[in-house]
Amino acid sequence: MKVSLNWLSDYIDLSDITPEQLKHRFTIQSQEVEALYPLTTAKNLVVGHVVTLEAHPDADKLKICSVDVGRETLQIICGAPNVAADQRVVVALPGAVLPGGFKIENTKIRGVESSGMICSLKELGIDEKYHAETGIHVLPETAKVGEDAITVLGFDDIILDVDTKPDRPELLSMAGFAYDIAALFDLGINIDAADYQGDDIENPFKIKTETEACPSYYGAYMENITIKPSPLWLKARLIAAGIRPINNVVDITNYVMLETGQPLHAFDYDKLGSNEIVVRLAEAGERFITLDEKKRTLNKDDILITNGESPVALGGVMGGLDSEVTTDTKRILLESATFKPRNIRRTSQRLDLKSESSTRFEKGLNTEGTLNALKRACELLIKYAGAKVSKDIASFDHHKHEKRTIELSLSKLNGVLGSALDLAETKDILRRLRFPYTVDKEIFTDEAPARRPDLITYQDLIEEIGRIYDYNNLPDTLPKTVSRGGLTPYQLFKRQIRHALNGLGLNETITYSLIDKQHVHDLSRIKDIDPVTLANPLSEIHSTLIVTPLNGLIEVAAYNVNRRMDHVHVYELSKRYTVDKETELLGMLMKGPYHNHYWQENAPTNFFTIKGIIEALRERFMLPKFSYENVTLDNYHPHQTAVIKIDGTILGHVGKLHPTYAADHDLEDVFIAELDLEAFYAYAAKDNTYETVLRFPSVSRDIALVLDENITAGTILESIHEYSTTILKDAHVFDVYQGEHIETGKKSLAIRLRFEDKTGTLKTKTIDEMVKNILEALKKEHDAVLR
Amino acid sequence: MSSLSCEDFFYLLGVIHVNVKEKINTLEKKLKAALASVENQAQLQEIKAEFLGKKAEISQFMKHMKDLPDEERPAFGQMVNEAKKRFSDLIEAQREAIKKAELDALLRKETVDVTLDAPDYTLGSTHILNQIIEEIEDLFIGMGYLIKEGPEIETDELNFEKLNLPKDHPARDMQDSLYIGNETLLRTHTSPVQVRTMLAYGGEKPVKIICPGKVYRRDDDDATHSHQFTQIEGLVVDKDTTMSDMKGTLLAVARHLFGPDREIRFRPDYFPFTEPSVEVDVTCANCDGKGCNICKQTGYIEILGAGMVNDKVLKMSGYDPKIYQGFAFGIGVERLAMLKYGIEDIRHFYTNDLRFNKQFKR
Repeated sequence: MKVSLNWLSDYIDLSDITPEQLKHRFTIQSQEVEALYPLTTAKNLVVGHVVTLEAHPDADKLKICSVDVGRETLQIICGAPNVAADQRVVVALPGAVLPGGFKIENTKIRGVESSGMICSLKELGIDEKYHAETGIHVLPETAKVGEDAITVLGFDDIILDVDTKPDRPELLSMAGFAYDIAALFDLGINIDAADYQGDDIENPFKIKTETEACPSYYGAYMENITIKPSPLWLKARLIAAGIRPINNVVDITNYVMLETGQPLHAFDYDKLGSNEIVVRLAEAGERFITLDEKKRTLNKDDILITNGESPVALGGVMGGLDSEVTTDTKRILLESATFKPRNIRRTSQRLDLKSESSTRFEKGLNTEGTLNALKRACELLIKYAGAKVSKDIASFDHHKHEKRTIELSLSKLNGVLGSALDLAETKDILRRLRFPYTVDKEIFTDEAPARRPDLITYQDLIEEIGRIYDYNNLPDTLPKTVSRGGLTPYQLFKRQIRHALNGLGLNETITYSLIDKQHVHDLSRIKDIDPVTLANPLSEIHSTLIVTPLNGLIEVAAYNVNRRMDHVHVYELSKRYTVDKETELLGMLMKGPYHNHYWQENAPTNFFTIKGIIEALRERFMLPKFSYENVTLDNYHPHQTAVIKIDGTILGHVGKLHPTYAADHDLEDVFIAELDLEAFYAYAAKDNTYETVLRFPSVSRDIALVLDENITAGTILESIHEYSTTILKDAHVFDVYQGEHIETGKKSLAIRLRFEDKTGTLKTKTIDEMVKNILEALKKEHDAVLR
Repeated sequence: MSSLSCEDFFYLLGVIHVNVKEKINTLEKKLKAALASVENQAQLQEIKAEFLGKKAEISQFMKHMKDLPDEERPAFGQMVNEAKKRFSDLIEAQREAIKKAELDALLRKETVDVTLDAPDYTLGSTHILNQIIEEIEDLFIGMGYLIKEGPEIETDELNFEKLNLPKDHPARDMQDSLYIGNETLLRTHTSPVQVRTMLAYGGEKPVKIICPGKVYRRDDDDATHSHQFTQIEGLVVDKDTTMSDMKGTLLAVARHLFGPDREIRFRPDYFPFTEPSVEVDVTCANCDGKGCNICKQTGYIEILGAGMVNDKVLKMSGYDPKIYQGFAFGIGVERLAMLKYGIEDIRHFYTNDLRFNKQFKR
């Protein structure tokens, strides 16, 4: 809410408080002040009287005005079409600076001297949304020549723009601000109850409700209305509050709403078509045209004000077009009612229709202030619209009007805040807040004022006391709860995975979990997953949850390669999202030389580079051997892709991106892998194990085999292990050869076998026998012969 | 022999001595000259044969021994042997010199241009958001907190209702959500993890947790909004947990992240799940609270929201508010990173331009 300090000064004495102090204190102890600014920055402006007017000799549209500004009469050239003799106008004197830094100086316009400028509201910095004026602003005749024009206009004001939170509905009214600021600065407050004398005319209205969504409704009837512009001060206050002045009746309803927080609505009696007001809920599908000339389709949440037959207003949200107050209006019905916040909120949200009224009703109002607001409006309408108001006010009011009391002990207060407030200090804070209370021993029984409908629980009261005390006065302590903190082993594992991959030179990425549904299965291994799709996505490209981190990594690679960064080695810890389970996955991508050697030769990045990363992780976390089995997956290279298994459990997959798919992303030679982190962790060793380091070196034997080219190295190594005892430490292929001296369809594998015996030195004979066994088995099983 | 007189004999003896001594000197000069021009081991070997071999002149001198009287022989022998030793030393010294020269030459051939680039063995780095999460986790672990994680697909009940955000609550406006079904959505904060933890604890034991994770809101992506972002929320519940404990804890966080000289301030705010609720500002590290462009001249920067857990929330999660009370807070990780490093666009975190990611190595 935009708070005029002039207006606020009606209620509290701000003379000893600077606007900056006010802003600071309010921010620290009440609500955030988003801005503090003057309504206009224009200075050195006076009221002038246009004495004579003549045409400019050299320009059709310009006039030479002789303007009396009190001390002197100035010659001013004016181009506004509405300038006329005998007008009271706003004159910017030479030396004045208008908003936007526009300086007024003595000048010549088309050869004629001009000393000053006759101003429009826009030139004073008043946004066009607050007025419909196109030309210069014409002041009323009552404006005194030579006086400060900004003061006359009521624009000598400073605005406090406050972000009102849902729990402080009273801060949607000037009165609420006055009470709060009075509490903060310990000030006196002066808000009078409405006071007016009604006339002896009959209120013809009968008012009733058919729904609990409208618990109270007060209607005042008045006639003899003269619709005209509001007085300058009232207009200025509305503009300061960010509301456009319309006419005296509409302006007064808005003014009273700003003052009290209670929205009002004026109906043109002569357009209502009956003497009856019936409040009911709308029928599903019922139609209604609101003030803004939009046709609304309603449902059962919407509250309708009807004339007994047809709707005349969308209760609490917006009036109807047909019963709107216009310049011809003579008689009005003025409504002051309360509506259930829930209904207002639903209506406003569904119709995307927010009004000053709905904003207030949906937060919950002071249900005790309904009648007073109506009376206050009557008072002003009598004064500024010549209204004759019926003494009798038609109404119903089903609110219980009970006192709300809150109990709070001093020990609870201090126990929650961690403060050391004593009885006297607490009493003083409640006095400043103007919350009536009684105190028995150390227990306060507080009577929540009607103007603060938000105060219900003891926590609400602690909040009030705490902020007036100022939370910043609380000591800095730490919780007394003694507890053992730490990561779970799995959480630690995830950190270790990151650190290991960082050590291996891979960079972590974080990409969006929501992607285009069309691509969700592009790179997935498990195709029978139903992806999770949003009911209300913002766009198709962020509509579906990922089932693999690889989509994001491909995007990252494409983005970076496109920007000439050819070495993309990245990973991401992410998830496979399904409706009932979120599985944590590790995705990796390698593209370009693993280590750039610059002037030295680069080792090529291939399938085995990324397999090496996987094996490094396996070794780091001490998992048993993996088996890699060729697999065919959409969008992967058909002959360079494998699933990774352990004990028959699939841990993930690794492979080269299919060149066609890669090319679609402006990529080539991309290697990717996905590991199921939870499954991987299940097989990881949870602690170190120790074996005595042997005193003797191991013994190695090399064998070269010729075998069918389709038999994998893995198959051969598996057989070797199968036909060995524990003295075989390991076996590695160190050469693969096809070509000269090897029959077509065959290949040669050179394998180094390493033997070790924990019990003592190995005998040559033992090794010879084992190698012989191995060779025999390989011959028998795979027709692999010694080369 | 019998023809020699005694005098003759001594004369002869003197001649031999003198002759041999002179010859040795001459040989030594010759050897030194020869060694000076030797370039390799083979040449050295030849010289060694020439000067110290069986046929070498010096080896012949010993033949004169028999012509000398017994008492003279030791002195003569010593002279010749010393000469041989000197010759040998000279040769060996030269051998070492040649070896060294040869090695030097070899090493010279291995000269590298030390200014050439090394290969890139650069380490990778953890994403900046996870770096900050780890940093904050470690701070809280040190204060005895556990780290709790939970699903990102949540129920409306756990994400909203149990946090005092019933359907139609005005604050639901503040976090427009991405729904999957009528009752399931992508969590809008990590608070449901707090609810899950309290429910799991059965309302019995104290809670001291922080909950990091991904959250989602129905926001269009721009420089300051992201439909996906990262939160760390914290919760402490015990019989005597106070707002002052919250203040001390959050001061520790602010100082840990922004430096030991930082101060914080509380401003009242509203969250449905806490009451009282506050917004927490930290003094601007850039201007030390004096006011600058970064803090919009206020001297303070908003870093997180916090408050005392609303009784309704405790109750709905199985804790008796008559016995237990506590505080909760929520930190936006992207916002922290942006403030800490002056990152101007939230989308950088999700674009993963390696020129961005690689700048953060801590």
